[in-house]
Amino acid sequence: MSTNESTTNESTTMTDRTPVDDADVCVIGAGPAGALLSYSLANRGHDVVILEAGPRFDKEARVDRMKDQLHPTHSDNEIWDMGGERDEYSTSGEHSWPINQRRVKGVGGTSLHWGSVVPRLYEKDFEMQSRHGIARDWPISYEDLRPYYAQVEQEIGVAGDDETPFLPRREESYPMDPLPLSYSDKLFKQAGEELGVTVHSMPMAINTGAYDRNACQGYGTCQFVCPSGGKYSADIHVRKAEELGATVIDEAPVQRLNHGPAGEEITEAVYRTPDGETHRQTADTFVAAAGAYETPRLLFLSESAEYPNGLANSSGTLGKYFMGHPPAGVLGIVPGENTHQDEYGPVVSGGIHQFYEYDNPDDPQRASVNMFTINAAGPSPATMAMESDAIGDSLLDQVDTQFGSTVGINMSIEMLPREDNQIGIDESTTDNHGNPVPDVDITPGEFARKGQEKGLQVGSDLIEEMGGNVVYAQGTQTTEHDSLGPLGKGGYHPLGGTRMGSDPAESVVDPTLKTHDLDNLYISSGGVFVTSGASNPTLTIMALSLKAADHIHDDLQA
Amino acid sequence: MELTRRDAVTALTAAGITATTGCSGLAGDTTGDAEPMDTLVGLAEVLYPSDVEPTAEFIETFMYGRISDEESYREELAAGIETLNTLAADEQGGAFHTLSADQRRSVIENTDLRSGPSEPDGSDVARVNYYLLDELLFAFYSSPTGGELIGNSNPRGYPGGFGYSPPLEQ
Repeated sequence: MSTNESTTNESTTMTDRTPVDDADVCVIGAGPAGALLSYSLANRGHDVVILEAGPRFDKEARVDRMKDQLHPTHSDNEIWDMGGERDEYSTSGEHSWPINQRRVKGVGGTSLHWGSVVPRLYEKDFEMQSRHGIARDWPISYEDLRPYYAQVEQEIGVAGDDETPFLPRREESYPMDPLPLSYSDKLFKQAGEELGVTVHSMPMAINTGAYDRNACQGYGTCQFVCPSGGKYSADIHVRKAEELGATVIDEAPVQRLNHGPAGEEITEAVYRTPDGETHRQTADTFVAAAGAYETPRLLFLSESAEYPNGLANSSGTLGKYFMGHPPAGVLGIVPGENTHQDEYGPVVSGGIHQFYEYDNPDDPQRASVNMFTINAAGPSPATMAMESDAIGDSLLDQVDTQFGSTVGINMSIEMLPREDNQIGIDESTTDNHGNPVPDVDITPGEFARKGQEKGLQVGSDLIEEMGGNVVYAQGTQTTEHDSLGPLGKGGYHPLGGTRMGSDPAESVVDPTLKTHDLDNLYISSGGVFVTSGASNPTLTIMALSLKAADHIHDDLQA
Repeated sequence: MELTRRDAVTALTAAGITATTGCSGLAGDTTGDAEPMDTLVGLAEVLYPSDVEPTAEFIETFMYGRISDEESYREELAAGIETLNTLAADEQGGAFHTLSADQRRSVIENTDLRSGPSEPDGSDVARVNYYLLDELLFAFYSSPTGGELIGNSNPRGYPGGFGYSPPLEQ
């Protein structure tokens, strides 16, 4: 299946998808940026309605999706039914950009397939211009966001080590003890001790038993499917919001936002339902939380006489300063060593943040590097077996030969914001509702590429130090991008495009995440990031969403 | 080694999974006799290593136990067995489960089974590869029994062994 058809969703055509009367807040998107925000507002007595473009997935069917993940026939986008006319997009930039392999539309959003690695951004990420003379500062600081980080970590359940070196300072303990280092983490740690490289535990949103959801059961498939539910996904807080009275309308893609005569407030979100009907949801406040690809598109599609270049785009910056975290990876084989891949369960437990800060802070030449050591490097035994033509003993011999000695490091790399990297819309291509699709135009930057080189060198040195042979060491943002395997290509962690700022002439939202142009429209998304840092962004997205929820609550009270 | 239901159920139950069905749930309803399970066991005998003795109980637990849409699978199983039997009849003159192990291997080696595409929406043979052969291979190589033969008691796709991290060998 590749066109959003699934026999394993809970949604049915009998579901009531008519608008909610007298809603206080309409949230567009049931992913991480919308879930906690909705829960926070519902918890304070506000009537919340969530419009979600995708379906509500059946949890029981996660085992099937996990099997799809391990089956060599399926590409990553098929695991959660992404692709087809609904999810069409264009890439007018220099590189392909496989966004449907990196996102999920449905209740829980992309957190359904995330890796659940949750480091915070660093203090310096908020102050790049004043500290390093590059990019620009956020209008808020790490200190402004710190209490919200702690709140999110408590809500979603993070296992982490308070004493981890390099990570930003914290004043609160993680809610769960850290995951222990895996066998291969320890191999990297041992090699690192010889090279002066520190390997440490990584904060992970995986339940080790303290939270009110299943504990991790060790499937080893966190990215892209956690059948047990031990990995946090945002459907958890969508459900909690519903228990507090929020309404979720799934399979209800919003077509446009309409504003009142003066262009000062949004009056309704126009959405379509599977029966072909068009509905209009009114509310006092609207929150666009549809991700950094779809949110700018929705605003462009909502152009009007008052906003001819797109809603909330008086600054002309809508869609601009788009960023991603270019991935890079190193894979090695350590001859004769059983590296115990797969046996540990969680795909990530350790990492290296020693190269997040710059070698020369006065003259940074390269991007920050966020490295995580992998506990399931290379294909699984089942994948190898299904991929082979052999049977019986010869098949076992093949799998036994290929499996068991791999080690790997994946990394996400900082990317500087640039005006010419942008999300737009492609008028020549339309989706299943006849709307122009998003267009990604992003080109390589030397700063990011040098960060990749640093990470690849460190990773390769570590593998060679443990006696291994590096068999793969590549990253995107290079001229070879289009020839990389699916996991090596970009598209991860979309950020920017609706950036935050104090100056309405240079940004889309203000420090409260309210758009400068419209009094009742907020944006909760990685799109508001001013700089990318290198940390996996979902924790920050959720922290910002809780901050926005506080501001929305204040607005509604007023 | 014989793969038993008791071992399989114990393993999956401990890991939080309960076998959702058995012969009567999937295979039994297909034709009302034992042929579907006989066919799957006959397939497993040639797909799995020779030291392994597949049982219906193992297949019930590790394969059926991880299929959530039983109705769709039942249809694919019935269609797949029909295709498999047609291939077996053409190659060796009998239904697949009635053939000797050598004859069953021969059917696989002389057709597009294994060597051809494996697709959920493909040709008849591609669907046999996907729904029967690959399901059986997934069941085995994502179980502790299959994993242990390659030195890994908790292969990916199997829910167990959370946090297993032996000390480094010095």
